[in-house]
Amino acid sequence: MKHLPKHLQPRWRYLAVELESWPDTSISRRDFQRECWYAAQNLLGDPGSARADMTVIRFEFTGKTGEAIVRVRRGETEPARAALSCIDEIDGAPVGIYVCGISGTIRAAEENYLGRRGQDSEERNVVFGNEERVAVLRECVADVRLDEAFAGATDLDYDLA
Amino acid sequence: MYEAVHAHPDGQSTVARYAKTAADYGFEGVVVRNHTDSRAAYDAEQISETYGIDVVSGLEIRATDPQEAGGSVGNYRSSQTILALHGGTNALNRFAVETEKLDVLAHPMTDRGDINHVLVKAAVENGVRLEFNLSGVLRKSGGQRVRVIQSLRKLKEIVDYYDAPYVVSADPTSHLELRGPRELCALGEQLGFSSEFITDGMTEWGRLAERNRHVQSESFIEPGVERGRYEEES
Repeated sequence: MKHLPKHLQPRWRYLAVELESWPDTSISRRDFQRECWYAAQNLLGDPGSARADMTVIRFEFTGKTGEAIVRVRRGETEPARAALSCIDEIDGAPVGIYVCGISGTIRAAEENYLGRRGQDSEERNVVFGNEERVAVLRECVADVRLDEAFAGATDLDYDLA
Repeated sequence: MYEAVHAHPDGQSTVARYAKTAADYGFEGVVVRNHTDSRAAYDAEQISETYGIDVVSGLEIRATDPQEAGGSVGNYRSSQTILALHGGTNALNRFAVETEKLDVLAHPMTDRGDINHVLVKAAVENGVRLEFNLSGVLRKSGGQRVRVIQSLRKLKEIVDYYDAPYVVSADPTSHLELRGPRELCALGEQLGFSSEFITDGMTEWGRLAERNRHVQSESFIEPGVERGRYEEES
């Protein structure tokens, strides 16, 4: 079908989103897209969800952090932001989610808001709470592996073993 | 804007991790609100200096009955900046709003707790802040979430009518559950709360901390009593 003339094409806004989870989780674009739709539908209802029209454009998730760009209709960014904040887990993995900025183009969103976090992480033995544990370190934050769960910590909380 | 958090071992992240994440998200401070049975050990000053964010010591008293809660208030009031009470039953809600020494009645509407005009009037009189706890909206779904939203709206109607003091919190138990101030405002708008209302509730934690620090500092004598400028230190 012939595409719409420019003045009839929808106006978009692109939300640059940062994701975080515990180490060793894998989240795919499809999972994130599904959670976006569910969250929008649950919070905004079907009409609101259709108005916002949230689509995941870029998605990258490695290890425990990720970045995404979510496209929404212009004027619907605040409802979309609210819906995104209600995503608390994806595929059973708890996620932290933060909208770091909104742009009018994908390129601006990427250049201004994404790619600022270091991606390198390493496993080290640390002493946390008087016990030796394995931790995944990235920059100055660490996720310490406890018996059945993780504990989020920073370099103020542990000593390298 | 401040956020009140459950730190390790009550939650999954340490105070430092919360402080770092909250600073990244644009909060001005975090209030530690661990339950009395799992208190956190941390160096508030060091964390605050490292991440450039205010760290306020606090506790959320969890008790089965008002007598026990009363004992905890006496034990912890002098050592903590902000003292909250884990609400949720009618007896404890009643106790909290009638206790001047408490700062915050946390999540009064969880479980089967309820709030009415009598309790809110008492809260106004004693300066006890009622908490709007957004954790249920953020992390529950289906019918439970509908109930939570209903109870928040009910609380808002009564709080608005009596102009009662309140605080707002997302009540995170790990740094992953922390949400930025703008996210919470946007969420508030969807629930029928204006973003000013939400911002005001998050700022209220900071005002509380400032007031209590002043009251607990050594320069404070009595309400309305100040050291005169004619007095010489000898």
